[in-house]
Amino acid sequence: MLQQRISRSAWPEGQTDKTLADANRLRENVGLSETALRSPASAKGAAPQRSRTPGPRQGPLAGVRVTDFCWMGVGACATRLLADFGAEVIRIEDRQRLDMPRRLPIYKGEARTYGEEDANPDPNKGGLFNNYNRNKLGVTINMRTAKGRELADRLIASSSVVTENFAPGVMERWGLTYAHLKSLRPDVIYARMSGFGHSGPHADFRSYGPVVQAVCGISHISGLPGREPSGWGLSYMDNEAAFFNAAALLMAIYHRNNTGEGAEIDVSAVEAGIALLGPILLDVSVNGRSTRGDDFPTGNRLEHPNAAPHGVYPCLGDDRWIAIAVFNDDEWRALVSAMGDPSWAAEPRFATQAGRFAAQDELDAHVGAWTAGHDRHALMHRLQAVGVAAGAVQTTEDTIDHDPQIAGRGLFFEMDHPVIGEALFEGTPIQFSRTVQENWRSAPLLGEDNAYVCKSLLGMSDSEYEALVEEGVL
Amino acid sequence: MQAQRRTDLPHPLAGLTVVELAEDPGGEFSGALLAEVGAKVIKVEPPGGAPTRQVGPFAKGEVGPETSLNFWYYNAGKLSVTIDLGGPEAPPPLLALLARADIFICTLQPKALRALGLDLERLSRDFPRLIVVSVTAFGLTGPWADYKSSDLVALAAGGPLNSCGYDDHSIPPIRPGGNQGYHSVASFAHIGVMLALLERQKTGLGQLLDISMHEACAVNVELANPYWFYPRVQVKRQTCRHAQPSPTQPALFQCADGRFVYFTLITTEQKAWQALVGWLDQEGLAAHLTEPEFSDAKHRQDHFSEIQEVVECFFLVHPSDQMYKQGQAAGLPIGVLNAPEDLFSDEHLAARGFFVEVEHEDLGKVTYPGAICRFSSFGEVARTRAPKLGEHTQAVLAETSNTEEDVA
Repeated sequence: MLQQRISRSAWPEGQTDKTLADANRLRENVGLSETALRSPASAKGAAPQRSRTPGPRQGPLAGVRVTDFCWMGVGACATRLLADFGAEVIRIEDRQRLDMPRRLPIYKGEARTYGEEDANPDPNKGGLFNNYNRNKLGVTINMRTAKGRELADRLIASSSVVTENFAPGVMERWGLTYAHLKSLRPDVIYARMSGFGHSGPHADFRSYGPVVQAVCGISHISGLPGREPSGWGLSYMDNEAAFFNAAALLMAIYHRNNTGEGAEIDVSAVEAGIALLGPILLDVSVNGRSTRGDDFPTGNRLEHPNAAPHGVYPCLGDDRWIAIAVFNDDEWRALVSAMGDPSWAAEPRFATQAGRFAAQDELDAHVGAWTAGHDRHALMHRLQAVGVAAGAVQTTEDTIDHDPQIAGRGLFFEMDHPVIGEALFEGTPIQFSRTVQENWRSAPLLGEDNAYVCKSLLGMSDSEYEALVEEGVL
Repeated sequence: MQAQRRTDLPHPLAGLTVVELAEDPGGEFSGALLAEVGAKVIKVEPPGGAPTRQVGPFAKGEVGPETSLNFWYYNAGKLSVTIDLGGPEAPPPLLALLARADIFICTLQPKALRALGLDLERLSRDFPRLIVVSVTAFGLTGPWADYKSSDLVALAAGGPLNSCGYDDHSIPPIRPGGNQGYHSVASFAHIGVMLALLERQKTGLGQLLDISMHEACAVNVELANPYWFYPRVQVKRQTCRHAQPSPTQPALFQCADGRFVYFTLITTEQKAWQALVGWLDQEGLAAHLTEPEFSDAKHRQDHFSEIQEVVECFFLVHPSDQMYKQGQAAGLPIGVLNAPEDLFSDEHLAARGFFVEVEHEDLGKVTYPGAICRFSSFGEVARTRAPKLGEHTQAVLAETSNTEEDVA
């Protein structure tokens, strides 16, 4: 059998070369992980208090130090992947310009809409920051000061990866070009994540998820025909660009391990989004298909293949829905039987997949009238039991608290945080039989690791450190 | 600790062999992402061809296994080898391929694996350096492991769909286009493969990765997860903008050419407000928004609907492309809703040389998206068309039998 999700088996197999101190620290992590592993619904009580002191990591990226200038969602989500799998990711933060996720009012016990920020937020209270920055270290450096920039150089010289997702020009303003980074560390990997990439006439354009989604086309291809696009209700491209950036970093590290050679990486979120348009892009480039006509986009209907019924249908309850997708005659017969062989289903126009596809307006009305009397989950299981692809439209309450498939595989886990307390985290949807995801700490408090990074990692004296604090460099 | 240093690697994954047994875009896109960075990807198909060859759209409308644009999109740069996978035992040619491979991508769910006599754990044991990547609808374990899925079903059950649709909730949630459930799981397959390769550089050992599209969707909902982790509130879908706990202002503005731009009108930030009014004024359409009382954020909030109206009118009398570029020049994060056909003539993408031309014997050059990631230290792999069914069977299997004795 596969091992359970690895955060569960965080005990360091094959780590015999670790010192006793390391092992003890890892043992503490196991205490944490045991708690983390229970499904959220069953996780009770506080996780054992444990040291937040950083130390050696485990995982395939152990030994890789990252000077991480990323902020907001895209960058932080990308470097989270590195931190999860053993890299020592050191977030550089600015006390004067707090990271947006520290400011957004996603707090325990307080429901507010994105954008309704506190005027003077507690920077350590933000749930979104905790979500994106687990397993990382946090230092504050005032990059507007010469000493701050000098400190960043020292940190970069002791790292092998530098990441950033600022607007183009910010890193250059601090002198942090690839050439300069290479002078500090010849095999450095410099990952630059941006909306439009670091060349071309629109390189300076400002963007965030919804703007990227608009420009790359994935908003336009989403919606009902003849109406405005429904697009996306989330910054999908923040996540997806983060995943591509993480993969790019892993590829560059792999390549460097093979060759000793570093790299500058340029990933444009818009270009990543275009690569996610799917086959419609070839329909346009090969067949000259227009996607601005009345027949596109197709809402929940699927043109290729001609699936029918293929839609989202109402169920019992307020705004409750089920997705049903029927691709062939066998599945259709199973659905008809599950519906109790209604007479309408025997009409000749519904006899073939092509006929059903052509008569979807009528078909959807019939199917929707039937589903409306059913509970979405009960119906999903009933249809799946007879071989029909069906899925309740699940909310995050469903997926996080109740979904038995997810709970059984331990996707979500818990960690404690000094200000927020116990919090849930979204894990990595990969079960590895060997690779370890070591969840050792929730997100850093603002400047939490200043002393550790300056003194333990960079070998600064107490007096030098105190001077930097006094001068407002840290 | 570094593996042996080599200097002869033009692409990050050059020299690695991937065997792909994929029946859906999730597995196929996973393989394509590896082909894009230099891996040799051998697509194993049954003699009748992968089911994805039957899925349209088709080139010039000609239906057939060699004209599926769906197949082309997800299989560019791969080799095709046909092997009879009738079961009940794993066929020797497949095992011979796996013995020489670094990565095996497989989309079969547990029941289908059993029917074909494929035991992924056993393969992982028998080929200790092999990275076995299972990319399935729900994962290899759990009560739903054999449930059927599709892109729509995955987006529904995993959670993203609940955030997507229109303000009008009598309309069901609407699936975002382009196979994004499948693309989400492929993104994690790409990451998983790279982590496993890094692990193998350290230990010399492969492993089994069990990757679930359901879970990939469940972590790909952005704010909806932290909104439940922390305040325990649910977000509600809104037209083409973030689903939120409570309604927010529309963000789509229609322009004179009928096209839309995305723009979030935020009146609370002074700098963004000044940029907006400056822009409107420059076009002579700021109306009364230049009046002094509007420099007060409180006043702006109290008169939000007036502001919204002025901005709506402004967009409505100008073409979308102009609004996009002028707005950006004013420092505002604004995006035009491009259609796929608009992208081929986009000046920025052209300057970056994003699109690539791929030669197809019967059609000539076909435009494809280029490589997603750019690296200074290695060149991009020249993209080639998707293989014809069994195009490389002889060459690949001959290579396998010639060197079988060299394989440990």
